[in-house]
Amino acid sequence: MTDEGENFTTFNSRTLVEMVGDVTDEALKATKIKDLVGVLGGRFFNWAQRKSMFPLHLGIKCCALEMAAAGGPRFDAERFSAIFRSSPRQCDVLLVNGPISKKFADPIVRLWEQMPEPKWCIAMGECAISGGPYFQSYNILEGVDTLIPVDIYIPGCPPRPEALIDGFAKLREKIIRIGGVPSNQREHDAPIIIGED
Amino acid sequence: MWITMGPQHPMTHGLWTLRVKIDGETVVDTEPELGYIHRGVEKICESRDFTQITPYCDRLCYASAMTWAHSYIYAAENLLEVEVPERAEYIRLIANEMQRIASHLMWLGAYTPDTGNLTVFVWCLRDREMFLDLMQELGGSRMHYNFPRVGGVKRDLPIGFADRARAKTKMFLERMQEYEMLLDESTIFLIRTQGVGYAKAEEMVNAGVTGPNVRAAGVNYDVRWAHPYSVYDEIDWEPSVEKQASIKGADCYDRYRVRMEEMRQSALMILDALDKIPGGADTHYSPGDEMILSKAPNRAPEGASGFHHFEDPRGESMFYLQGGGEGRGKSPYRMSIRSPMFITIPFVAKTMIGYKIADIPAIMGSFDPCIGETDR
Amino acid sequence: MSDKATGASWMVSADQNESAAKAAVSAINSHFSKAGVVASVLKHSSGSKRSYVSIECPPEHWLALAKWLRFDNGVNHCSMITGIHHPDGGADKGWEVVAHLMRMPVKNQEPGVAHVMRGGELEGNDIPMEYEVGIILPPSTTPTVPSVQSVWVGADWNEKETWDLVGINFEGHKDMVRVLNPHDSPVGFHPLQKQHRLRYDGFNEMYDDAQGFGRKPIDADKVK
Repeated sequence: MTDEGENFTTFNSRTLVEMVGDVTDEALKATKIKDLVGVLGGRFFNWAQRKSMFPLHLGIKCCALEMAAAGGPRFDAERFSAIFRSSPRQCDVLLVNGPISKKFADPIVRLWEQMPEPKWCIAMGECAISGGPYFQSYNILEGVDTLIPVDIYIPGCPPRPEALIDGFAKLREKIIRIGGVPSNQREHDAPIIIGED
Repeated sequence: MWITMGPQHPMTHGLWTLRVKIDGETVVDTEPELGYIHRGVEKICESRDFTQITPYCDRLCYASAMTWAHSYIYAAENLLEVEVPERAEYIRLIANEMQRIASHLMWLGAYTPDTGNLTVFVWCLRDREMFLDLMQELGGSRMHYNFPRVGGVKRDLPIGFADRARAKTKMFLERMQEYEMLLDESTIFLIRTQGVGYAKAEEMVNAGVTGPNVRAAGVNYDVRWAHPYSVYDEIDWEPSVEKQASIKGADCYDRYRVRMEEMRQSALMILDALDKIPGGADTHYSPGDEMILSKAPNRAPEGASGFHHFEDPRGESMFYLQGGGEGRGKSPYRMSIRSPMFITIPFVAKTMIGYKIADIPAIMGSFDPCIGETDR
Repeated sequence: MSDKATGASWMVSADQNESAAKAAVSAINSHFSKAGVVASVLKHSSGSKRSYVSIECPPEHWLALAKWLRFDNGVNHCSMITGIHHPDGGADKGWEVVAHLMRMPVKNQEPGVAHVMRGGELEGNDIPMEYEVGIILPPSTTPTVPSVQSVWVGADWNEKETWDLVGINFEGHKDMVRVLNPHDSPVGFHPLQKQHRLRYDGFNEMYDDAQGFGRKPIDADKVK
C-alpha cells in the first residue's frame, strides 16, 4: 500500500475491509455456512417484508378515499401492516389509485424509482388497470402498467376497502412465493387479479 | 428560494403542486399547478348519452359525488325541459344533504390532522360511514351512486330507511357536540387556525369563490335561497353564516365554524324532509313509478341549451349543456363544467402570501380543496 | 319558509326575480342598443322556472359591456367563461364564447357582525340574478375575444382553461399558460375542437374488441 513518490505508507481502510470481506466470504462458502445463513436470513427477511408492507401516501383520485376509508376505524388496514408513509424512500408498496395522466406519468415513474428494492406495485381501481371510464381520453394513459410493472390488480370503481385489504393479503402470498426478486425481473410471474378466484 | 410541495404530498389533499417562494420561513410568492388528473371529461361526454354522463359526474368530485351528479341532472333537465315529481325532489334533497354532511366530515377528517389532531380523523371517518351506509341503500355503492335520473331518481327510499336515517342523524347531532368539545377548546387548534388566512367577502366573490368560504366572512349568501331549486323553499332551514373575527376578513377558524354549522343545518333539513315528504317516508314506490321518475326525452335539439347553478359543499357549481350532439341530439354538443375549486385554488395561493410556511396546510385545508372537480 | 323572528321570507321570490330581470334587461338595452347588444329575459325550463338575463353581444363590445355590468349593474361574480367550436355553424358562427355571471349581494363586513340577508328584504341591484352572455365569432383560425381579466379576477383562470382546451384567444390577457393540459403539449393542440376525435372513436363495445378482451390472456400458462 505504498504510493510511489511518497515516503510513508498510506493505510487505506477501504482496501482492508474489502480484503477481509473476500477472505471471510471464501471461508463461509467453503464450509457451506453461507448457504445456511442465506436460507435462514432470506426467510426472516421475507417474513419481515410481508408483515410490514408500507404503502406510499399517494392519493390520485376517488380510490384514494376508499384507501383512506380502509385506514379508518371500520376497516382498519393498519392491523394488516399497511401504514402509510409520506416519503417514497421509506415505502415498499406503491398503491396506484387513480388514472395516470400524461402530466403525471413522469412523477409517478420518478416515485417508483425512488422506492428502494424490494418493492411491489398494486393497481387499485379501473383507472389504474386500464384507464377505466376514461380509456378514450386524450390525456389518460391506458393503465399504470404501461409504465410500471404491476403485481396485483384490484378491479372495482371504486373497489370496496375490503377488496383493498384482500389485495394486501394476496400480495402477502405473492411475497412468500417470489421473495426478494427485484421488480424488473418478475416477467415470469403473472399479476394477480383480485376476485378472479 | 422556490420549494415544490407536491404532487405527492400529504398536505395537498389531492394531486396538485404548490410551488412556494420563501424568504426564511415567510411565504413570498406562490404558484399552483393543476392538471395532474385532467381526464378530458368534457370531451368524453360529447359522445355519451345523457344517462351515461351521470356516472362521469359522480367521479368529478369524488368527495361529494351525489351533489355533482345532481348538479348535472338539474342542468340536463333544463336542457330537455323535464318536470320532476315532488317526491323525487324531496328524495334528492335528502340525498344531497346527506352528501353535504359526508363531504364536510371528510373535510374535517382531512383538515384536523393537518393541524395536528389525529383523533378527529378517526371520529370523522366513523361518522361518515354512517351516512355512506344510508346513501348506499339509496344508490347501491359507497361512493359513486349514479342515483339521479333525468326526470327523477333511480329508486325510492327503501323500507325502513326513514327510521334508520332519523336514528343516525340524531346520533350524529349528538356526536357533533363531541367534535366541538374537542376542537373549540383545543389551544393548539385555535392557535393554528385563528389569525391565519384572512380573506374578505367582496374579494372572494370577485375572484369567483363562493359557498362556505364566503359565508365565513359574515354574509349569508347561498345559492339555495338566491336561486331556489328543488324544494328548499318548503323545508325549515337557515343558511349558516359566521361572523368574521377581524377587519382583515375571515380566518380559518371562521371557515371551520361555518362548516360545523352547515352540518348541523343539513342534519335538521334531513329530519324535516323525512317528515314532509309527499306520500310519506315509509311508502316505497317501485323504480320507474311516476311518483319518483317522470318521462323525459332523450334527445335535445340543436340550439337548445340549459344551465343550472347549484350549491355544492365547496361553493357554487354549474353545468352548461348545449344540445344537438351525436346521434341527432342524443349526446350534448358541449358540456361545460364550472368547478368552484378550480377558481378557488389560485385565490388561496395568493392568500397565503405573508404567512409562514407552516401555515400553508392550515390555510389550504380550510378552503376544502378537492382536485377531482378542479381537473375535470 | 320564513324567518321565525320577523316572518320575512328567506327566499328570493319569483316576482322579485322577474322584476329584477326585466329591470336589468331594460337598462342594458337602453345603454347598448346601438352597439348591437341584445338582452332578453329567458326562463329556465324546469324546476322553479326562474328568469335570467340572456345577452347576445358582438365581440368588440364585450369589454365595455362587462365593465358596465360590473360597475353599474352590480354583477360581481364571474362564474364561468367557456368556448365552443362550431365547424358546421355556417358563415357567421364558427366559435362561440359563453360567459355566465352572477350578481351577488355580498359586501365586506365589520368584525363581529353578520349580515343576515333575507330575500324578501332585498331590492334593486341587490337582488341576485343570473346572466348568460353569448358571443358569436365568425369562422377563423385565430378566434379572438377581449379579455375581462381586469374586470373580474375570477375570469382569469376561466379564460386560461378556455384557451387551453378550445383554442380561443383572449386579447389583453396577461400570463396565458396551459393550465390543464401538460405544458409540453404541441402548440396549437386544443383538444375540445371538433376535429380531434377520441381514442377508440366509433368503438362499439358489443361488436369490436379494441382492447383485446376477447383474446386468450397472455398469462394463461403462467404461475399465479
